[in-house]
Order: sequence, then C-alpha cells, then structure tokens
Amino acid sequence: MKFLGLVLKSARRSRRRTFLTVLSVAIAVFLFASLRAVLDGFNAAAEASSSTRIMTLRSTSMIFSMPTSHADAIRTVNGVRDLTWANWFGGIYKDPKNFFAQFAIEPESYLRMYPEIVLAPEARRAFLEDRTGCVVGDGLAKRFGWTVGDRVVLQVGIPTYGSQDFTFTIRGIYRTSGAAIDNQSMFFQWKFADERSLVKGQAGWYVTQIANPDQAAEVALAIDQKFANSPYETKTDTEKAFQSSFVSMFGNLNLLLGSIAVAVVITTLFVAGNTMAMSVRERTTEIAVMRTLGFPAKTMFFLVGGEGILMALLGGAVGAGLARLIVNPDVLHVAGGFIPEFGVNNAHVATGLALSVFIGVVAGVIPATMASRLKIVDALRRVA
Amino acid sequence: MGLIASYNLRSMVVRKGTAAMTSMGIAMVVAVFVMTLAIAQGFRATLVASGSPNNVIVLRKGATSETVSAVMRPQVPLIESLPQIARSSDGRALASPELVVIISLPRQSDNQPANVPLRGVGPKAFEVRDALEMVEGRRFTPGTREINVGRLAVGRFKGLTLGSAVKFGSATWTVAGVFTADDASFESEVWGDVDLMMPAFQRGAYQSITARLVDPSAFDSLVAAVAADPRLDLRPRRELDYYAEQSATMTTVIRAFGTFVTLILSVGAVFGAMNTMYAAVAYRTREIGMLRALGFSRLRIVTAFLAESVALAVVGGGIGCLLALPVHGLSTGTTNMASFSEVAFKFRITPGLMAGGLLFSALMGAVGGLLPAIRASRIPVARALREI
Repeated sequence: MKFLGLVLKSARRSRRRTFLTVLSVAIAVFLFASLRAVLDGFNAAAEASSSTRIMTLRSTSMIFSMPTSHADAIRTVNGVRDLTWANWFGGIYKDPKNFFAQFAIEPESYLRMYPEIVLAPEARRAFLEDRTGCVVGDGLAKRFGWTVGDRVVLQVGIPTYGSQDFTFTIRGIYRTSGAAIDNQSMFFQWKFADERSLVKGQAGWYVTQIANPDQAAEVALAIDQKFANSPYETKTDTEKAFQSSFVSMFGNLNLLLGSIAVAVVITTLFVAGNTMAMSVRERTTEIAVMRTLGFPAKTMFFLVGGEGILMALLGGAVGAGLARLIVNPDVLHVAGGFIPEFGVNNAHVATGLALSVFIGVVAGVIPATMASRLKIVDALRRVA
Repeated sequence: MGLIASYNLRSMVVRKGTAAMTSMGIAMVVAVFVMTLAIAQGFRATLVASGSPNNVIVLRKGATSETVSAVMRPQVPLIESLPQIARSSDGRALASPELVVIISLPRQSDNQPANVPLRGVGPKAFEVRDALEMVEGRRFTPGTREINVGRLAVGRFKGLTLGSAVKFGSATWTVAGVFTADDASFESEVWGDVDLMMPAFQRGAYQSITARLVDPSAFDSLVAAVAADPRLDLRPRRELDYYAEQSATMTTVIRAFGTFVTLILSVGAVFGAMNTMYAAVAYRTREIGMLRALGFSRLRIVTAFLAESVALAVVGGGIGCLLALPVHGLSTGTTNMASFSEVAFKFRITPGLMAGGLLFSALMGAVGGLLPAIRASRIPVARALREI
C-alpha cells in the first residue's frame, strides 16, 4: 500500500495516455455489461417461470387454436388444480411498428393463476366488470402515454377476428412482480374477442396449475393422451420449456452475443497491453535507477502490474457505472415487440469490474515482466 | 515522397510489437463488423433469391404477407385465364395456388420445437419456380400424402430425411424427396399438395397464387387487368419486391445491432491507435525535427504520419477480414418475424462487405492518427533537434 502514491504518480506521467487507456477499458466493460444484460433479458422469462404452471398448445403449432371444451377434459386430469386459457390477438395499434403483445384472457382465472400481474383491487374489479375493458403494463402505458379511462382502438391483425376495429377502455395499469409476465403487454376479456371471431369458442393455449411440480411430466402426458387421435391433438410442456423455445426462435443468441463479447475483451487486451508496454519502455531509465537504489525486481513487477490493474479498474468502474445508468429500462425504450425488457443490474456491474481486473492483470503481465527483468547496466547506458 | 514513405514503413517495422498489437485491436473490430453484417447479408440474400423477375405473387389487397392473405377458390381460375400468365406445354397456366401454415418440429441442434413453414402448392409449382431441383428422391405425387423437403430443413429439423414419416394435421406424411433452390428460403420449407393441406388444417381458402408471366414487362397490364375485375379483391406484386420487403425488418434490426456494437468497439480501437501514434511521434521527435530541417513541409509531415496510421489500420482490417472469412457459408437460422417461421440461411461475406471492412479500418486509422500527426507537424524544429 505504501507504493500507492508512486503508482498514482506514474499513472499521471502521461495523462493523455492514461486517459485513453482508461476510456478504452471503460468502453469494453460498458459493451460487455450491456451484452450480458440483453442475453439475461432474453433468458429471464424462462428462469422466472413458475414450476407449477404447465402450458397446453396444439401439437401442430402454436398458431392453431382448439375448442374451449378442452378445458373440462383437462380439469378431470389427476393433479390439476386450476386452469385458464388465452388467445393471441395480434392487433395493430395505429401502425404495425407499434407492435406489442395483446392477449385475450379468461379474466378471473387468468389473474388468479398469474399473481405476477399486480393490480389495485378497484382496478381489478373495474376490469372484470367491463366486457370491453383491458389492463396494460406500466411500461406499455408509459410508452404510449396512456392513463386509466383512455380508449385504445386496435385494428384486426388476424383475419379470424373479422374486419371491424376493436375499441377497448383501459381499466387498470398493472405492475409485474416477476419476469414471467412483462410490463409491455395488454390483457382483455376473451369473451369480447370471441363474440366477433368467425370461429367461436377457440382457445390458443391452456395454462394449468398443478399441485406438485414433480408431477409436471406426468400430468402433461395425461393431458396429451386425452386428446390423442382427435382433430385437435395437443402438446403440453412446462412454462419454462415454452419460454425457452421462444428465445431459441431468434437463433443461437448465446453464441452470437458470446463471440462478440470475446472479441470485445480481446480488442481491449491488445489496446491496454500495448499502452502499458509502451509506458514501461519509456520509463526504462527510471526503472533502472530505482533498481540501482535497491528496489527488488519483485517490487518493480508489482508496481507496473499494479498500475495496469488500477487503470483497468478505474475504466471498469466508469464503464459499468455508465452501463448501469444508460442501459436501463427506464431510460431506453427498446423493449416491446419480441425483444424483452432488459437492463444492467448490480450483478452485471460486478461481472464488469471482475472483467476489468482480468484485463488489467493479463495486459499487465508482459510489461511487468519486462520491467522486472530489466538489465540495469544496459538500461542505464541507453539514451532516450 | 519515396523517401518519406519508406521512412514511415521502416519505422513501423522497427516498432513491430506495438504496431502488431494496434493492428490486431483493429482486426478484431473489423472481424466483428464483417461477421454481423454477413448475417444480415445472408438473410437478405436468402429471401431475395426466393423471388424471380418472371414471377408475380398475388395476395389479398392490403395483405402484407402470405400469412394474413386469403385467395378464394373461384378466384384462382380467373387469375389463371388472364393472357399475361404464361402457359406450359400442356396448355395449362403456369400458376400455383398456395397455402402456408406453420408446423412445429424439434430442431436438430437443441431439440427445441421450432416453427417450420409448410407450403401446400399446386401441380405447376415446380415449373413456376424453376430454380428448384430434386437432389434426392422425386417430386411428391399430387393427391397422395407425400411431401418434399428443402435441403436446409433436412439438416436443421429432426425427422425429415428421405423416406421418413412425419405426423401433422391429423395425418401421417412420407418424405418422397429432397430439393435445393439456389439457397432460397424455400430450402427451409416443407412442400406438399395444397388440396390435401387445406382439409388437413381446416382451411377453406388459399393464401396466395404464384404465377409465371409471359414476359416480365407484362406486369403492368396484369395489375390493370386484376384491378379492372370486380371479382378480384387481389393485388399482384413482383415476387422480387415481395421477398425483399419480407426481409426488410429483420435485415434492418441485424444491421442496426451490428453497427451499434462495432461503432462502440471502434472507439476503443481508435484510442489504441491514438496511443500508439502519440508514442510514435514522441519517440521520433528528433527525426521529425531533422525532416523539417531538411525542408519537408508541415503538410508533408501530417500526411506521412496519417498515412502510417492508416496503413497500420488497413493491415489490421485485412487481418480482420481474414479472421471473419471462415464463417462464410456456415449455415444458421433465425425466425423471420414477417412469417413467424424459421428461415435457415448462410453467412455471406461478399467482396463488397470486405471492401467495407477495409474502408472502415482505414477510417479508424485516419481518426486515430489525425491528432498525433498534427502534433508531429507542430514540433518546433530547433527544440526537436536539441532533444535527446
């Protein structure tokens, strides 16, 4: 610790260089933390999904629906505690660019089974009482500047729902208490959509609450067997499996973002390592003088290495701090559509700082070795 | 010029360690740049290849994609009888009424269910899309539960190899053949007889008609003819335009993402180049003083150092392009949001893209070298010469 002053002094030797190095580490850590946050955002819904909820879809594909009479059959399966259903609406709000998810839900059971949708009691009551009412996430409400009581007109996106526009009244704005439900969605009464649907009594998918998470596979199999060889065969799986299949739709995100992150780190290693080597070379005479004065080689190693770690850590703090401030769902409004909400959290900041230490250590090893192995005689004789 | 160029070149060789590190930093940035844009390029090329200049696709008026379109049965002969539509040797119109639905099949790589497009086609489909070629087995026989599978779909999804049985739409279908389509998105699809697909998926209407024009220039008169007939609430579009439009959203998203990441990353690399060039200038103060004393102008010094920085960066850019090259032709897939189904495509690195990468690296070199070069030119001659 007593050498801290000396390390700081040498870091200030070429301020411009230190500044540029710190900034390039900051950029790397910023990018790294943001990429991590995007990836976690995609995976969050799967990780936060409930282990006692299982989903039943048409086996052919999720774009097909099935009769609501399935509900009674599913209720008879052993281990099923509660059940609800929903439909994808796919409406257009003014312009297809304003995409957000809209679900036609069986309201009472859905709200009961998804405690993640947090609504004030009076909003909940108002929603249940209004056939054309809807509730929207706080993120969505903010995006379009909606308040309770506003009317929202959606054009029909899927031909099954006829051609007439749907007008909804916002009865509540919900918060979410878990990533299984995002705050960019709209829920309205299934009955309203069904009235105008060309094919009546259709559910897009069923969500079943089971008593015991260990029974998930068993119950799923029993449900699917109920409908085997019917025109509406089903495929039942856990909520988690459903969510992760959704993420995998985008392709191999882990690999793509992962390789970019690696490229970021390597670039920074080159830049930072290069700068440190340069500064050691410049200080050759200085280091030789210190060695002559009796500083051991080990001390020189730690002095140069310490300077590297210090600079990297400083850059890491700046980068991670900026990422925490800027890449934040409240600041960025990139979410909505198929891209989940994401933000840099404290864990990402910690990873970013750890990464900066790693960069400092690896980039500093060669210059530090150079400094400690310096031949005093040669170094003192050298000019410039 | 010769003297100063060789001076700069040799200075680079003297500082080979530093120069190499700077170049490598830039190389990584260019590699990321080229690779992400190769995704966008590949995706776009796959969809655009699906269109042919001779073909039109007829959709319901206002429909943005096949999924939300509907073409009624009685409308098909009306389109087929138009004089702008080409005929095959047997006198029948070269037109294929089609229906696309999505079926769920497990992916080979992670066993996750994926949305695979299933296209029901008319008997003339293979003549309308003449890029299609069977590589294994034969075409499906109309009226039977046989299907053909695109080459990329065979590799990407489970259970689609020649001869295997696939269950969907409450029936079992047999794979009779595998086809290629010049890398078009059809290679990610499964094809079967549209008249069997409709009852299997409880559909009462087609979604589109793809037809061959007698001549590409007949398009305008076809549009007029369709508009004039009150029974046709349809709109023909050039197939090329249609598929380019389908790829637009996804391509824009990938490009925006790639540009964002590389821009931020390039700032770091520019800082690296700047550091290196500043050090180079500081090192060679005496030499610069000497050059100035010999009569080289300030401008010449600026251009010389700028050129050195750009050269360093372009070498890096070249290495970056080479680093990215192995991904060319690698096959991957993503969901096309316009059709909500998976499209397999290949990374595509074009000469234009590599030129773009080199240009980008030159730009990084120029930006990083500018300030140090100006500093070099401003060094007072007398003081520089005195320096040790």
